Amino acid sequence: MANEPEHIEGRAETAPPQHTTLTPGGPVTAAGGEVTGPPAVRIQGLWKKFGEQTAVHGIDLTLPAGRFIGLVGPNGAGKTTTLSMVTGLLRPDAGKVEIGGYDVWQDPVSVKSRIGVLPEGLRLFERLSGRELLGYIGRLRGLPGEEVDKRAGQLLDVLGLSGAQHKLVVDYSTGMRKKIGLASALLHNPEILFLDEPFEGVDPVSAQTIRGVLERYTASGATVIFSSHVMELVESLCDWVAVLAAGRIRADGPLAEVRGAAPSLQDAFLELVGAQGRGAGADLDWLGGGRAR
Amino acid sequence: MSTESATAARPAAAPSLTAVFVRLKLSLLRNGLRRSTGRTLAYVASLLVGLLFAAGVVLGLTALRGNPHAGALAVLLTGILTVGWAVMPLFFPGGDETLDPTRLVMLPLRPRPLIVSLLMASLVGIGPVVTLALVTGAVLAVAHGAVAAVVAVVAVVLVLLVCVALARAIATASIRLLTSRRGRDLAVLGGLFIALGGQGVNIAAQKLGRPDGLAVLEPLGEVLRWVPPASAIGAVDDAGHGAYGRALAGLALTALALGLLLWWWRRTLTTLMTSPDSSTLQALEKGGAGTSGTGERGLARLLPDSRTGTVMLRFLRYAWRDPKSKMAWATALGVGLLVPIATSAQGNGSIYSAFSASALLGSQMYNQFGQDTSAFWMVASTIATPRDAYQELRARALTLALVAVPYVTLVVLGAAALIGPWSDFMEVYGLSLAVLGALLATGSVSSALFPFSIPAESNKSVAPGQGAIAWFSLFGGVLIAAVLCSPLLGLTIWLHVAGLHQFLWVLLPIGALYGTGLAALGLRVAAPRVVARLPEILAAVSKG
Ligand SMILES: Nc1ncnc2c1ncn2[C@@H]1O[C@H](COP(=O)(O)OP(=O)(O)O)[C@@H](O)[C@H]1O
Ligand SMILES: [Mg+2]
Repeated sequence: MANEPEHIEGRAETAPPQHTTLTPGGPVTAAGGEVTGPPAVRIQGLWKKFGEQTAVHGIDLTLPAGRFIGLVGPNGAGKTTTLSMVTGLLRPDAGKVEIGGYDVWQDPVSVKSRIGVLPEGLRLFERLSGRELLGYIGRLRGLPGEEVDKRAGQLLDVLGLSGAQHKLVVDYSTGMRKKIGLASALLHNPEILFLDEPFEGVDPVSAQTIRGVLERYTASGATVIFSSHVMELVESLCDWVAVLAAGRIRADGPLAEVRGAAPSLQDAFLELVGAQGRGAGADLDWLGGGRAR
Repeated sequence: MSTESATAARPAAAPSLTAVFVRLKLSLLRNGLRRSTGRTLAYVASLLVGLLFAAGVVLGLTALRGNPHAGALAVLLTGILTVGWAVMPLFFPGGDETLDPTRLVMLPLRPRPLIVSLLMASLVGIGPVVTLALVTGAVLAVAHGAVAAVVAVVAVVLVLLVCVALARAIATASIRLLTSRRGRDLAVLGGLFIALGGQGVNIAAQKLGRPDGLAVLEPLGEVLRWVPPASAIGAVDDAGHGAYGRALAGLALTALALGLLLWWWRRTLTTLMTSPDSSTLQALEKGGAGTSGTGERGLARLLPDSRTGTVMLRFLRYAWRDPKSKMAWATALGVGLLVPIATSAQGNGSIYSAFSASALLGSQMYNQFGQDTSAFWMVASTIATPRDAYQELRARALTLALVAVPYVTLVVLGAAALIGPWSDFMEVYGLSLAVLGALLATGSVSSALFPFSIPAESNKSVAPGQGAIAWFSLFGGVLIAAVLCSPLLGLTIWLHVAGLHQFLWVLLPIGALYGTGLAALGLRVAAPRVVARLPEILAAVSKG
């Protein structure tokens, strides 16, 4: 299993110059004001209601570029809804979203070429083989065919899918699906990658592979924003977190700042949510899974 | 629920196991119905329809009592019934939860008592009740005399048991297949088989309705009456005629079949419960699935590398690999051809029936994005401008046209040759192309405005609650397409009325151009609406 994604290359060639001076633990406010370029994501007053239920309850959030960012919160917190609205897959009831300085709903041309998305709960074109799927999505994105095939081969290699590349995706396991989804999100070398629960249902080996690819990708200056309900995972991967509960942002900023004095992010989260009067027992649903890393 | 029955079953002996299974089945049924009133209504309705149908058949059969061909008919009916029981578990594997022996693997049960109990439990339900009624009707038609009546009672019980045991044994033997993807794909195609079977029955019924039609059955009946379980019904007929030896042989054959079925069922059940389950199956499947054809690579090379070619390639691959798409294509191609053939076979055919080909293939353009299921997000995330949407839709329309234009040509040619007259060929061909173009146009607009989701894992083609949208968009679209084609139709009529028959040929070029123009216009109208409605389309096609 190739854990070192050495074939992924060329981010630095095409990506716009990124700021490299990160100041973890610095005097950063929720507005993330110290960033020089435009922030990766700026969300203002985002709302979404499903019938009577408010899934996203007026979110204001600014996420800096070039970070490994975790969006954490329990099941039903509104992570999927938020990420769907940010990536243009779901229309908000109100609010504004900018990605890299471009408005998602006004300027889809600039936005869609800059982002890669791995949604949750949506299917892929599963009657294609893994390789065919990558070939399909790469060409839809307007990349030249040869380049698509080259990149697809490398991604399949790095993600350990070469052996299954001619198998239909419908026959893939959960972990393999996440990996092929990640590959199709990375194929066009986006500046910002949105991943909804990328580690959900993934075995440790595949999780390590995905992790390796993502770390390599952020190291080159790109931004990863992923959601998870597993605090330990977020704590071990991210340098910036936003905590979401019941459709509201409870805290956001550099990991150390959000964690504060608490021994772990999980404790910090419990404190944050417990202060809202929710019993700790009610929150235990996000603890399970045994996939803590 | 199964743990409940496990604790109940463990200390008990075989007889009470039956009671447990019957109770399990009844409570599954009850819980299923309790979940919603709609389901209860549907259940009661299907029970009523089943019983009404059975009552009708029984009345009809009783009326046929004394008819010299009644025996053949009763035997044939039993045969059809048996085939129904045999294929049912293949197409409705989820229909009966107690039917799935893999759910019982964890329980400490021995096969023999298990089989008896499962058999008894599966006698509960609509199917067995309707079957009982039908078989009773069949023996009523042929039982003459006291001996025949006794034989009839035995025959009814035997036939019912054979049917149920057959369904169970086949379900068990194919459980591996049914729980695999290929099996589920097969189940989706079940609707098509049922539709075709229904058509066959329809045609057969019409044939039999003719005076002396029943005589057609005699040779078939002669063979079938020696095939169990129909042989038991044949035995009743024989007993009525005093042929006791033949009657005994008929009953014995059915009893033997029941014994063999039970033995086979027990064997497969034992293998199933003692050998590893579906995880090994996946390893087996690996071998077969790795065939992303080398033949397709040629196709890939033929198509351009642009969005157009990419979308066309995916569309064509789906037509072959996705059971839903495959069924839609097969239906459109099959029915489009069948309508002219059927009308000409009935002797009152018209070359105009060739329109069915372009109508059915053109309506494939409807709900394009619903056919993508929620995977539409991949399309949506690569569409940013009306131009992208236009290319996406155009590629799909082109793929349809790639198949439809030659197909329509062939069907119209065939209709002209077989039904005639050739003098109408040009106008029908031209009008067909116009209809195709109009449907591609309204189909693309409707795909943008009225998308609905097609559930993947069932043989429904509309998600619950979206039926109205589906019908409205299809019928509204077809209506608008008809209106769009009316100028051309007007021209045709005018040329006929004015006696300008020598100019009818112009309808072919005009129709082709008009159809192409309409399709292009439809794509232009649809494209900006697709871009504006991407999230709404995604939400609509992800339901269910
Ligand atoms: N399409 C929908 N229709 C109705 N309610 C929804 C829909 N999508 C999400 N919700 C509700 O919105 C809330 C947030 O859901 P989601 O964003 O999926 O949470 P998360 O991803 O954090 O688990 C949940 O209570 C969920 O039930
Ligand atoms: Mg979610």
